[in-house]
Amino acid sequence: MKVLIAEDDIISLKLLERNIKKWDYEAVSKRNGEEAWKAIRQDDLQLVILDWMMPEMNGIELCKKIRQEKKSKYIYIILLTSRDRQQDMIEGLSAGADDYMIKPVNLLELRARLQKGKRIIELEDSLLESHKRLTELASRDSLTNLWNRATILKFLEEELEQSSRANYPSSVIMVDIDYFKKINDTYGHCIGDIVLTKVASRLKKSVRIYDRVGRYGGDEMLIILPNCGSNEVGPIAERLCLSISKRKMKTSAGFLAVTITLGCASTESFSEPSVDGLIQASDKALYKGKNQGRNRVAVAKLPRILIKRQKNEQKTLFQNL
Amino acid sequence: MNYRDALERMGGDEPFLEDLLDLYFKDFATKYFRIQKAIEQENFKLMEELGHGLKGASAVLSLGPLQKISFDLEMAGRERYLEKAKEIPLLLAHELQRLKEFLEKRSGQALEAQMGK
Repeated sequence: MKVLIAEDDIISLKLLERNIKKWDYEAVSKRNGEEAWKAIRQDDLQLVILDWMMPEMNGIELCKKIRQEKKSKYIYIILLTSRDRQQDMIEGLSAGADDYMIKPVNLLELRARLQKGKRIIELEDSLLESHKRLTELASRDSLTNLWNRATILKFLEEELEQSSRANYPSSVIMVDIDYFKKINDTYGHCIGDIVLTKVASRLKKSVRIYDRVGRYGGDEMLIILPNCGSNEVGPIAERLCLSISKRKMKTSAGFLAVTITLGCASTESFSEPSVDGLIQASDKALYKGKNQGRNRVAVAKLPRILIKRQKNEQKTLFQNL
Repeated sequence: MNYRDALERMGGDEPFLEDLLDLYFKDFATKYFRIQKAIEQENFKLMEELGHGLKGASAVLSLGPLQKISFDLEMAGRERYLEKAKEIPLLLAHELQRLKEFLEKRSGQALEAQMGK
């Protein structure tokens, strides 16, 4: 583990450096507060020893700056000073220091305090890791490992904000497995689950790396396609449809022919796109596809005014050519 | 100088203590010049900073009298006490000379002890 030592006095610095290396830490030495601040921002430094009195920026100012920065990882600060009054200690700890030592430091004590800091950092790291794992787990559908409903809807909301800010179109595809109830009734729910998992897996493999696939509910899945307009979403959905139907699915009940129906909608169909509006439009298109005989793609129609505008744009483009 | 105390702080590593003492003398020369300049220019903030720095280095090497004089410089700077500050360079120089003599005497004794063996 790296330890930053910010100390302007060369004698104290050399003594600290030597011992810190002896205790199997990697020492990073800086002679003033400003240099130490740069090192903290650039490097992965979590254990820091600061001298109170330093040129450019003193230890107290540096402590405050570190705490204001709110880095994702915790920085453990030991403040060294020759100020031994109680009010100085209070000022040091209030500025954000975790520990406080009077100079000249007792090296055995410093070693023990560094070990304490290291333990706290390691504990904090493992808590952050667990939190990350739990968040990931809570965002996934346990059967298909797709994003769950809440998460995919949150992503859609974020995507709509982003596409509106950056002024590009985005699309969604609502996917439904054809005759899924019949699969469950005929072969049982275990086979139904296998089919669901395999459909999810094939869809994930067939979309672009930045597209997102989530389980919307039951056998319905929702795909978000950033930077994809109404002209592009149809062909992509056709490709997805084919990725399911072209190969039968191997299950313990034998090879099953599975198909899906897809309903597409684009933000271009709306003057003010919303999550509900896009979901409703893609759902409506999906049911149209179902009514037309399943195993197909249906794209929500653009309002007439937009079709007219698109035609005009094409016309201008041709005239310019 | 409390040599035993300083050596204990270095974990008994005498060559390392000698290296730090060398460094101290070099650093002292630069600081001494800056202290004189600060007093001449009545720069109290710099007097305080230099006094504080020298006090810390002296404490690490258990140089009690030098630590005390440095502290006086730090206080003179903080309290803007120019007359007191003006006395400091001479006191520092005198104490540094005493330290040099002490170290020379000590190394002579160490050499004699080695030869006696």
